[in-house]
Amino acid sequence: MRMLLYKAWIETRVRFASGLIAVAIVCIFQIEQHAWLVAMWAREWADPKGYHFSWMPLGIHEYGWYLWHYLYDNYLQQVWALFAILFAFGGLIRERSGGTVLFSLGLPVSRRRWLFSRLAVALLESIALSMFAIVVVVIGSAIIHQTFSLQQMLLHTALMIAAGVFLIAFGNLCYTLFPGNYLSLVLTLVLLGAPYLWLQTYMQHMRYLGRSTWLGYFDFAHAMAGPWQLNWSSAPWLTLLLTWTLTAALLAVTVVHGDRIDY
Amino acid sequence: MTAVIETESLKKTYGKHEAVRGLNLCVEAGSVCAFLGQNGAGKSSTIKMLLGMIHPTSGTGRVLGHRIDKESESLLIRQNVAFVAEDKRLYDYMTVAQIVRFTKSFFPGWKRDLEQRLLAQFELPLDRKVRQLSKGMRTKLTLLLGFARGCELLILDEPTEGLDPVAIEDVLQIVVSLAAQGTTVFFSSHQIAEVEQVADHVLMIDRGQLVLDAPMDQVKEEYRHIHAVFPEPVEERDLRLPGVEKVQTEGRTVSLTASHNVDSIVAHVRMLRARSVDVLPVSLKEIFLEKVRARG
Repeated sequence: MRMLLYKAWIETRVRFASGLIAVAIVCIFQIEQHAWLVAMWAREWADPKGYHFSWMPLGIHEYGWYLWHYLYDNYLQQVWALFAILFAFGGLIRERSGGTVLFSLGLPVSRRRWLFSRLAVALLESIALSMFAIVVVVIGSAIIHQTFSLQQMLLHTALMIAAGVFLIAFGNLCYTLFPGNYLSLVLTLVLLGAPYLWLQTYMQHMRYLGRSTWLGYFDFAHAMAGPWQLNWSSAPWLTLLLTWTLTAALLAVTVVHGDRIDY
Repeated sequence: MTAVIETESLKKTYGKHEAVRGLNLCVEAGSVCAFLGQNGAGKSSTIKMLLGMIHPTSGTGRVLGHRIDKESESLLIRQNVAFVAEDKRLYDYMTVAQIVRFTKSFFPGWKRDLEQRLLAQFELPLDRKVRQLSKGMRTKLTLLLGFARGCELLILDEPTEGLDPVAIEDVLQIVVSLAAQGTTVFFSSHQIAEVEQVADHVLMIDRGQLVLDAPMDQVKEEYRHIHAVFPEPVEERDLRLPGVEKVQTEGRTVSLTASHNVDSIVAHVRMLRARSVDVLPVSLKEIFLEKVRARG
């Protein structure tokens, strides 16, 4: 198993390094923008003719909310989701395109073991990526003299990963089902990314307006972000349960389909 | 002798195309068995079915006593079978040392001495990435990764393709030496001269069906060309005897290919008052071509 993990790591390490760079850029950018954005919101809030959104006082006074909103409810989550899907890209189907699948299948390793070793590496890399984000935020926040609850950040990271496993499983199923090598990657990103981003933007807008819609049931991004103040009772357990059930179903379909493929 | 590979009515279809049509194979332990056939004859499909890489449409098979159509048993097969695929593609991002370390981790019986000997013999640079190796070097590395596994069955799909004559000779020597140590070798090849050199059993497949299954000695001893010249033209039907595979008549000259029963055929030809009768050996290449053309 160790060598399978090693192989999956070699195959994805460039993606992982790219993910670290992307996460660092997103976190540093948002931290650097904090003072400027807070000043702008304060001006707007003070101006009777300015924009007045219900979240503005929180944004102005709570650095923790700012981090949650811009990182876990928006950009860090998006970057993390993108790379989680990219980390899962690969496996025996891709090896068929590359011509190495017969060598791999000639080894005494079951197809399921190939699948789960790759998914395990994708998950570990995704966890490492989110932990790296915390490190960047801790250092960056210290530089701009802002404090926040590290516990909240860890909880949001845990929630993002716990719900995000669905993306890894869905992405892997798409790679298994769609033909071609990079075509399957593009199709997966479009199929997963487009509704995810559109729904996230739309539902955030609806929440600002204080409206609710049935589309909210499909707002996976909001499920990954959770509420600002996350604790045992406010955690979206039902959503998580549903996500894990769907993840298990997707993995089962991938396994069954993978076992039937002729190489 | 125990059979290490057995198939019964093995069939594989891709859509409407029948790649393998009711194949019944038996490869005995300790043999060096050549698996011959044209491109697209069904050799690779058969090998892939034996190793669980593709699923049979119907029929059954066993390798080392394990069923080929069950994933759990297929795993047991691959623990004891070293397979070298036709295309010899390896992970090109690994170095030679990395891929050797990677592969050996799956095989407890890995032959380290053979690994070291072949690394030196094939002059494979340990620190070079697979993508930087020439085609010949990559083939040698793939063969090393197969030979050193220490498995009781070695399945090679076109093992010498892309190698120079010296390397081919080296590889054949290794095959012979592994066979001498008790390893069963099942290999497909287009190089019939190589097959004649090392194989002790021949299986020939054409359009998914077995057309020859015989020990090499029997093929060499019993297959004969019989050329006869008659005073007058003879009817082809008069020469359709048991053991006659093919009859060609050109005026008063008749050319027969016999797979067995040569003495009786010669006696029959003489009885038909042939003026001259010549019995000549047949090469495996000729047998192959005749088997394939006869069905064309």
